[in-house]
Amino acid sequence: MNYIDLSLKELHEALVAKKVTPLMLTEEALKRAHENKDNAFEYLDDEGAMAFAKTLTEPEKDNPLWGIPYFAKDNFSTKGIPTTASSNILNGYVPVFDATVVAKLKAVKAVMIGKTTLDELAMGGTGTTGHLGKTYNPYDPKHERMIGGSSCGSAAAVSASVAPFALGSDTGDSVRKPACYAGLVGMKPTWGRISRYGLFPFAPSLDHVGYFTRDVYASAVLLDVLAGRDNRDATSSAKPIDRYEEDLNKPVKGMKIAVLKMVTDSVKDEEIKKHFYASVEALKKQGVEVDYVEFGKDLLESLYATYIVISCAEATSNDANLDGIKFGPYKGGKTYQEVMFNARTAGFSELIKRRFVIGSYCLMRENQEELFLRAQRNRAKIVERVNEILKDHDFILALSAPSIAPLFTQASDKLSDEYLIADNHLCLGNFAGLPSISLPLGYEKGMPYGVNFMGRAFEEKKLFQMSSAYEAITGLAETSALDPKEAKL
Amino acid sequence: MKTITMDVLKDAANRLLFTMSDEQYKTLYEEFGVLTKQMEKIGEIKGLEAYAPMTFPFDCSTTYLREDVAEEPLKREDALKNAGNKQDEQIKLPKVVL
Repeated sequence: MNYIDLSLKELHEALVAKKVTPLMLTEEALKRAHENKDNAFEYLDDEGAMAFAKTLTEPEKDNPLWGIPYFAKDNFSTKGIPTTASSNILNGYVPVFDATVVAKLKAVKAVMIGKTTLDELAMGGTGTTGHLGKTYNPYDPKHERMIGGSSCGSAAAVSASVAPFALGSDTGDSVRKPACYAGLVGMKPTWGRISRYGLFPFAPSLDHVGYFTRDVYASAVLLDVLAGRDNRDATSSAKPIDRYEEDLNKPVKGMKIAVLKMVTDSVKDEEIKKHFYASVEALKKQGVEVDYVEFGKDLLESLYATYIVISCAEATSNDANLDGIKFGPYKGGKTYQEVMFNARTAGFSELIKRRFVIGSYCLMRENQEELFLRAQRNRAKIVERVNEILKDHDFILALSAPSIAPLFTQASDKLSDEYLIADNHLCLGNFAGLPSISLPLGYEKGMPYGVNFMGRAFEEKKLFQMSSAYEAITGLAETSALDPKEAKL
Repeated sequence: MKTITMDVLKDAANRLLFTMSDEQYKTLYEEFGVLTKQMEKIGEIKGLEAYAPMTFPFDCSTTYLREDVAEEPLKREDALKNAGNKQDEQIKLPKVVL
């Protein structure tokens, strides 16, 4: 046990009491990162992190992130630090500015230890497609199970207790799904709540900044710092921000939850379902009103295709600047088209190319109405249904995933309801831009699984209040692969 | 809708300015087999004509006037950091006009 294993709250108290220093924490985080075997890191900033930590000598009592080590997914711009988005096409790229979230964390004197791996350009959900290869789940020392993606390295870093929190990004479920597989709290707030300036875009109508922590308190405190209007991101909201931790542990009596019936019905794992229902019953005992609601099977079955069409189409256009001229290594060529052709052929992996072709196909003139525009219309209908449910309920609750982290070798039936619905419903939060948080629920074969709460737009404070109540029910705050706790249910 | 053939996929890749191996095109063609079935799920949804395509989760407007504050521009050495080829403090580009 080291100080770095403490909860964020305890760690802050230890720093203020000068029992530990930012330098000691930074040394420990770097040591653990270098020893880690999960292939979670793109870059470790030994020199920069140590130099910054050395300047932090006077603890700031009212600043809970003072001196706290953290990691950023490698698709956030970091000034002077290589940033590749785990793609060969960005090998050697060193940004000249910090993403707003990185700048904000620097301003509160959190210490960035390094950059974490991701599915290439954040386009994937398995944590296997980055240019450094697979990222492993710290709960599985045999390295047979995935951690999920795309924010695989950030999830692994927090789960392996290398640092208390890490930044990620979430376009379909890229923070919340790996959080579920890694026994973590994974938060994606309302679209526009956190500035995306400096986050490499994948599909801007769906992209969110998110993050991983080991408990709900840390998640709430982080949003205090990360939220807010940024004039450099025109889509960031000017709505006032809250003190998001204020209502933690307050009673949730009278709150109303809609459980998505079809999601649970399509899960095959009876053990997971049993624990899920037990947690719902425990919420009822606290006075929470629970309804099992029908969403519409046809709409739920169309989620994945809607997501793929919209996200691939947007990505095809967004990543057009990765061309070997504006960004990316020069691979030769007699004409500018040849230069781009050679750079893009060498720079992108097969999966990314396939996704771009899918996007391009959906955008072809002959297909645009039937595929792209139809998917966008369907998104509107899906969001209408979500908001209809949230008119009468404070939250929508469902299992985050139908199983524990899958084996790398495991194949799934891509047309089954378990895949189309239970494995892919988290994109509802991206379609509607609503705050959505994954929380640990229990373990099976020593591997974590979890649930997801989605709330109304900009009601993060209430979402954290409910999350803290749920966390008390499961007893799974502050867990890591180093120190898994016994689930209460 | 355009029928998916190997030639259509190769044409799409070509327009995107990259190429793939024959094996990769084959994988992609097979992927489209599953994807088409998944996309049919959208086709089954009734009444979508009544909905406008949704491009962003919310309407968000940005109307503000920025204060006229002088800012330090990007330093030359920073601007040149990512350039693969430099000469006389400028980015040197390969000749691409024949």
